[in-house]
Amino acid sequence: MMDALLQQTAMSLRLHYRNRMALLYSYLFPLIFLLAFYVLYRYERVVLIRHMGELLTVGILGGACFGLPTTLVSERERGVWRRYRLAPVPTAGLISSTIAARYAILVTAGLLQIALAVLLGMPLPRHPIQLWIAFTCVSFAFIGLGLVMATMADNVPAVQALGQCIFLPMLIIGGVAVPLASLPDWAQHLSAFFPGRYAVQAIQASVNGAGLGTVRFDLLALAIIGLAGCVAGGMLFRWDAQQRFSSRRGKAWVVVPLAAWVAVGAMAEARHRIGTPPESRTTGAAAPVSPSPAPPATAEPTPVEAPPSAAAPADTPPTPPAGAARPLAPAPHASGKAETPTPAPAAVSPVPPSARRGDAPATPPRAVEPAAAPPAGPGDRPAEAPPAPKPAQPIAASWQGVKRSDIDRDLIFDRLPPDSGIVAPIAPPDEAPPAEVQQQLDDIRVGLPAWGPARVADLVQRARNILYIAAVPDVHQTELERFAPAVVFDELEQDIPKDDLVKVLYWIALHPMDGDDSAIDQLPALGFENRGVDAEQARERAALYAVKLLGRVTGAIRRF
Amino acid sequence: MEATAAKVVVSDLHKRYGDVRAAQGVSFQIRDGEIFGLLGPNGSGKTTTVECLLGLREPDSGSIAVCGIDARRHPRDARQKLGAALQTTSLQDKITPREALRLFGAFYGHRATPDEMIGRFGLETKADAAFDTLSGGQRQRLALALAFVNRPEVVVLDEPTTGLDPQSRRELHGEIARMKQDGHTVLLTTHYIEEAEQLCDRIAVIDRGRIIATGTPHELIARSSAMQSVSIATAPPLTPADLSQLDGAEDIDVEGARLRFRTTTVGPTLAGLLRLVEARGVEIAELQVRKGTLEDVFLELTGSGAGAGE
Repeated sequence: MMDALLQQTAMSLRLHYRNRMALLYSYLFPLIFLLAFYVLYRYERVVLIRHMGELLTVGILGGACFGLPTTLVSERERGVWRRYRLAPVPTAGLISSTIAARYAILVTAGLLQIALAVLLGMPLPRHPIQLWIAFTCVSFAFIGLGLVMATMADNVPAVQALGQCIFLPMLIIGGVAVPLASLPDWAQHLSAFFPGRYAVQAIQASVNGAGLGTVRFDLLALAIIGLAGCVAGGMLFRWDAQQRFSSRRGKAWVVVPLAAWVAVGAMAEARHRIGTPPESRTTGAAAPVSPSPAPPATAEPTPVEAPPSAAAPADTPPTPPAGAARPLAPAPHASGKAETPTPAPAAVSPVPPSARRGDAPATPPRAVEPAAAPPAGPGDRPAEAPPAPKPAQPIAASWQGVKRSDIDRDLIFDRLPPDSGIVAPIAPPDEAPPAEVQQQLDDIRVGLPAWGPARVADLVQRARNILYIAAVPDVHQTELERFAPAVVFDELEQDIPKDDLVKVLYWIALHPMDGDDSAIDQLPALGFENRGVDAEQARERAALYAVKLLGRVTGAIRRF
Repeated sequence: MEATAAKVVVSDLHKRYGDVRAAQGVSFQIRDGEIFGLLGPNGSGKTTTVECLLGLREPDSGSIAVCGIDARRHPRDARQKLGAALQTTSLQDKITPREALRLFGAFYGHRATPDEMIGRFGLETKADAAFDTLSGGQRQRLALALAFVNRPEVVVLDEPTTGLDPQSRRELHGEIARMKQDGHTVLLTTHYIEEAEQLCDRIAVIDRGRIIATGTPHELIARSSAMQSVSIATAPPLTPADLSQLDGAEDIDVEGARLRFRTTTVGPTLAGLLRLVEARGVEIAELQVRKGTLEDVFLELTGSGAGAGE
């Protein structure tokens, strides 16, 4: 019997590859989607790797929720399944081989997408095996859904209609195509009841995030949704096109997948997992780990990702009211352009869930996480966080004149982009870098003593120069970006006395556009690329890292 | 008939869809090596009965045994013994006959090779052509080949000739005759009376979900009131009113230039007819006497003309 089912799987695949329309849907569309994405955003330096979660999810969604039921229903309409039914094979066997064939199609389409992305310059996914696992879970969830759709739809047009009913909401308010952070609160809650966001998050975590350890809930959600779909799809399976769904017995099985969606959403609610991933938030996690030199009372952030101790619901709007009420952070750049230090991604791109911290509410935010307050966080909506007006108090005339009170007044550490995010990320100290990154780090350490920019007399300029070592990989989004900060921080702390360092970092944070950035051109001497980096952006990132280090030096941000 | 020799035994089969009673106590037996016809108008319950037999539908009650296997309790075992060509079988556009035969053969423990079936059903020239390029007749031959791919003990053909052109139909009739020569047991459903009469060893007439008569075509005709039909054309034509005086003439009908009637007493009625012709001074252009046919039986049994002839 195994042999028969393998043959059926192989035959399904062969027929799929002979069907031009099917090929178009399963292979060409995902690639076109990826290309369109690439072309649209290429000038904004949106890196494909941060969107593989969405791109792969859309591919799977199309293949499993349109391709699979369309094929099944059209075969059923022409009587192929009646013919199968005459054979002495169990229903489950035929469904399994259908699932297997569809899975093979999805995997090959996904590999094609990744290959194209790599051709376009995307680095290889960070955790390939985990990516495969996440991809499989997502495929399973959507194939289950596709099976249910195939049993519910009486004909192919009905599949299309039903598919749109699921596809569009999932894209728009389900966290697949539109970033959760830019959705209204109700939509964020609703999205927890759709599999889309879990799919994106699970895949992204394994593409460029911290791995599957951080998205266990998402995997569980996908597994539950997939299992429910497959069970209901099997129980409701129809062989005969003449039998209408509405006249069928056992329709109650439809409740099973619905119940699974509701259960997953309820679990997410219960575990305060509704909020958008931290990096898309303006606020970091925070309260419990909030700096001892407490931030100004007015800036008391509403905990968004429900910190462990705080019972606050996880549904706080992305921008806490405090953000609007008071300039939370010095505007790092006086230039009148969009005040966020993040470039396009936060505003335009879908949330990169990859970076999302897994069980934030369940486990205390990682120590890395507590944020400090640099210029307004990424994802801040311009409307709500206008460029910060000048602080009421005059800023010190020179860095030497900076007082502790200036820091307390002007910087809010819990509004920094999270370390696990995409802007100014920092790897947890216990995470070992990949071998090649380790090699780069060693090269930097070895090269630093002899690197001219790190030896200039002006301490502010010296610190700026050293910060570029972290800022440039961040702009480039290379693998180095999460690990370079540790080297930079070590160097700065060893090189500059603490009292001076605090003032210097504050100065840089408030004056990111001052001084000289020619050090960026000398980065290749340390063994890494600086090709085509936007100096202004590098300065912004350097300012962010300055605040992150400042928080650590002063104790406002917990070290690990 | 001894039950042991029966390949298929269907007893008291009931199936209803909502208010429609598609099968109301259908019972019949098919003997080893015979071609058994289930004859009835559209909607009479033929397909429902066949689908229950094949396990495509779950009957409400009744029992079905195939080669001694309880088909309701062990449908998969029964399917090993059955081969079927369904009314609406169509395959994927791009599958070839060879691939289809290999695929469907793989489902069975006991199977014929694709090449054997391709040769047997004359599909050599189209063995590797996509299904959507096959003609209606070729598709039907492929359906038959698929029905035989597991070397079944019982073959079920559900309205195999419906929608075929005359040429393909003739070929198919030849094929079914060959099945009989080869000793296959075949269940054939049809609403074409002459097809049933020509091909079947025994026939069950089904109407409104019930079997109303079973037997060889001969027995069925003999068992019916065995009327013979007489048609006559004269110049100038006689009128039905003329014939109404004729003793023994029933069901008088005008058929174009001819008059037609039935009778159970051919001799005396014909003599009366000739006397009438002479008395009226008309000339006989044509005179035909026909024995009762299955069609007559069918009409008599079902009281409907549906499906008679083409």
